[in-house]
Amino acid sequence: MKKSMGLFVALLLVTGVLWAGGQSEAEAGREKVTFLFWPGPESEAMQKVLDAYNADQGIKDNVEVEMLLFSRQGFYDKLLADMAAGSTEFDLNLVTTYSLGRYAPYLEPLDSYVTSDPGKTFIPATLNSLALDGKQYGVPTDVSLHFTIYRKDLMHRLLTDASWKSSYTAIAQKYLGKKLSPKDPAQWDWDDYLATTLFFTKSINPESPTTFGTVLQLKNLIFNIMIWQSTMVSNGGNWMDEAGNITINSPEAKRGLEIYQMIIDNKATPPGSLNYEFAESNEAFKAGQVASMLQWNAAYSTLTNPDDSPSVYDKIGVAPLPAGSLGHRTHVHSLGIGMNAASIHKAAAGKFVDYLFSDKAMEIYGRAGGSPPASMVLSSLADIRPEFPTVAEYLERYAYVVNGGTADYAVPVYEVMAEEFSAVWSGDQSIDTALAHTEQRMKESIHK
Amino acid sequence: MKKTLRIICYVLVVLICNLPLLATIATSLKTPAQISASPPLLFFKPTLANYAEVLTSPSLHFGTYLRNSFGLALLGTLFSILLALPAAYGMVRHGVGKKFLLPFVTNLRTFPLIIFAIPFYFMFQSVGLLDTVLGLAILSCLINLPLALVVLLSFFQDLPIELEEAAFVDGASTFQTMRMIILPLATTVLASVSVLSFIYAWNEFLFGLILTTKVATPVTVGATFFITSFGIRWGQTAAAITLSILPPMFIGVLSFRYLTKALLSGAIKG
Amino acid sequence: MTSSMTRYRKYLFIAPLALFLLITLGYPLVTNIIYSFSDVTFRTIRSPRLIGIQHYKEVLTSPAFWGSFWFSAKFAIVATFFEVLLGLGLAIALAPLLERYKILLTFIMLPLMIAPVLMGIMYRLLLNEFVGPISQIMQMFGIYVSLLNPPWIVGTLVTIEILQWTPFAFLIIFSGLQSISGDVIEAARIDGASEWGVFWYITIPALLPNISIAAFVRFVDSFRVFDHIYVLTGGGPGRMTTSLSIFIYKSFFQQEQIGTAVAAAMVLLIVFLIPLIFSMRQITRK
Repeated sequence: MKKSMGLFVALLLVTGVLWAGGQSEAEAGREKVTFLFWPGPESEAMQKVLDAYNADQGIKDNVEVEMLLFSRQGFYDKLLADMAAGSTEFDLNLVTTYSLGRYAPYLEPLDSYVTSDPGKTFIPATLNSLALDGKQYGVPTDVSLHFTIYRKDLMHRLLTDASWKSSYTAIAQKYLGKKLSPKDPAQWDWDDYLATTLFFTKSINPESPTTFGTVLQLKNLIFNIMIWQSTMVSNGGNWMDEAGNITINSPEAKRGLEIYQMIIDNKATPPGSLNYEFAESNEAFKAGQVASMLQWNAAYSTLTNPDDSPSVYDKIGVAPLPAGSLGHRTHVHSLGIGMNAASIHKAAAGKFVDYLFSDKAMEIYGRAGGSPPASMVLSSLADIRPEFPTVAEYLERYAYVVNGGTADYAVPVYEVMAEEFSAVWSGDQSIDTALAHTEQRMKESIHK
Repeated sequence: MKKTLRIICYVLVVLICNLPLLATIATSLKTPAQISASPPLLFFKPTLANYAEVLTSPSLHFGTYLRNSFGLALLGTLFSILLALPAAYGMVRHGVGKKFLLPFVTNLRTFPLIIFAIPFYFMFQSVGLLDTVLGLAILSCLINLPLALVVLLSFFQDLPIELEEAAFVDGASTFQTMRMIILPLATTVLASVSVLSFIYAWNEFLFGLILTTKVATPVTVGATFFITSFGIRWGQTAAAITLSILPPMFIGVLSFRYLTKALLSGAIKG
Repeated sequence: MTSSMTRYRKYLFIAPLALFLLITLGYPLVTNIIYSFSDVTFRTIRSPRLIGIQHYKEVLTSPAFWGSFWFSAKFAIVATFFEVLLGLGLAIALAPLLERYKILLTFIMLPLMIAPVLMGIMYRLLLNEFVGPISQIMQMFGIYVSLLNPPWIVGTLVTIEILQWTPFAFLIIFSGLQSISGDVIEAARIDGASEWGVFWYITIPALLPNISIAAFVRFVDSFRVFDHIYVLTGGGPGRMTTSLSIFIYKSFFQQEQIGTAVAAAMVLLIVFLIPLIFSMRQITRK
């Protein structure tokens, strides 16, 4: 017994000593600015920008920027706690289009810190996606939108093989009641997407080389709603009209939910899809079991990487999301850098922000793996980032932000939709009930 | 014959219970392409690249996270035993605090403490406990107090009072009785409470996430640093999880000697 | 106890505990009680505006609250039942082996040592129908189901809980088993008691305190279940797997219905306090 107590005390002492040796004092001289980000390719790319700044411009500015990472699991909840409590642990932090309204009260507008004209560097629509009430709250550093990602080899055969063509037409006739023939994915409308998806589903078409025609991400998660809502917006639907009246309970939203429902009912998406998000969908696609999917542009680099995706990396095709009555549409949001209003190093942080607004900073960022919505970068880096010109093109032609998508109630509204619609997809609730509930709960969230 | 059956039963149980862990260890030894192979590979050429990445990544301080978790779990366990041991004794032998304090403490376990995250944040911020191991240790103590109290309470109730009375007759003080008579008998129960409290504290995530920024980050939070918006880095996550099991395992091995050494108290009880 | 013990000295035993709780929980409890009667958002979190009992009315009439309450209750009952049953069985079956080779205990305890949140993340891979080893093993036995889909999903989540926490019940019961005197069992055998007789009339009654502790702790822990469910399903599809902790967490952080979330937690505090006062009275009576 005595021995064990001794051991215990010794352990305590050892850990005590270990902590004491922990943190070293910051070096005197340049003003330290802390930059909060989340782990992953974006922060790894941003580190390169920090390094470049610290080695050059930072010396002139007498500022040194260092990165602080928070776990992406629960990131926003943690950030909310920090900002609501006025934390001064960081001076710059990640902001996004959809959470901008929520965090804006704790953010410092950047306009007074910028010496150049941001409109020259960045695509104006993406600048706007991080602006509220005429004030710029963030430097847009990464743009997220959606692609239809498809298997080039399979689509090529579908367009050329006569027997495939005729069975495609038969399937379209049987399931959609329409006479369709295969089209290039760039020309798809939602019916073409559905017909192709059913065609490449083995339980419907035994000749299909893939088990599932597509893979939907249906988990109760706000990001999955962002993908889904293009089925509605491309047909003219929206969260609300320009005057702010809620219009979610509409024929367009119903049509959108029916598109998903048809895929689910026909088992054309893997059975686990109900709990899929980004990562799981990619696994299904990498496994070669899926012919096409509606996916974030971030998937492109993983899927075309021979190490990550040995069986499909050379067969990846990209098209816009299928068209509705208004043509192709894609949700867009930006990830960006904002300034903590509680920061005690605002002037120094502002100097780095000014640097971030330059072509030079964004070029370093793009080269290192980021997707900055800077026109010059997107066009000049096509050799190393082949999807960039496509991103630029879709941004210009198809991108939308839903009405209310940057308001302070945006996240709660996405949450409501995720909960109500995932209940539809699991068969627990009818489409009409879900839309009625969503309308009701949106009213409660918005008019609080 | 019976022994063979027992061994078979043991092996089966260990295999089934640890299936997720074994699969995690296997994943930690795979390359991304091997992880994405469909169907999954049973045999593959193992790589240690994931471990190297976890331990040497410049933006990650995995050693610090392990140390933080170790410190907070150890301190938290110590606090909860120091508080619960006298309280349980007082409740059983003197009947104090049984009416309200005891149900209140046990009720803490049913309560989603995370609702206190914001007030705790404010409180810790104002007294400088934010982002400290001590702050997290206080929280793990709160989480573990109900378990420690209930287990120790039941121990004292089964402990015959005669031993202490004899000591008092011999002129021993309360503290001496505690140290000389009760503590030696409580080895087993203290060992199991400590191991379990340590594990619970080790496994805490949400408070570790919200109440730390960079200094006191625990390993549960550190292991989620491989979740990115470009997908989860499964190999590194699995390696981090595997590494994070080692310290509680070490504590477990240390204490198991005491878990099975209850002969003395057993003899008295009988 | 003894006459030298004055009336107040005995309170010294519980004073440190009481003081600690007062210091750590006093402020959060008071602020939360205020929040539960207030109109409050993150913006006004330091200056809530009192509005009365509205949040309590909302909570008590909310199908989402009661749905998650019953999910938690059922989840906890099923998980606890199996964990205690399996833990008891294992403790009795394996005790002779483990007493001899103590190191073997370690491998039984391993599942406890992985944080549920991390295990949940790994299960996202392990249960994947394309690349998941667990799905693959099941497919080798001819079972082609998606474990994260209805109707399997709740069963899967409970099974994950049971796989992880049965060792807890086992350990608590095993340590009780260690303190049963061999002499008593020997004596009973000499008196002609059968194996079953010894088990039923000596082992089980002696283990009862440990069984109830294991059941109690596991029940309340499973009732609060959060981590692995939140990671795996986000509480969905719909609200199918929303436990009370998930309901409260989401209301608080994501829906920003802080008052409602806190009121729900307060309701929970009161709902459990009454049975606990009674059951603790029972436990401490003898």
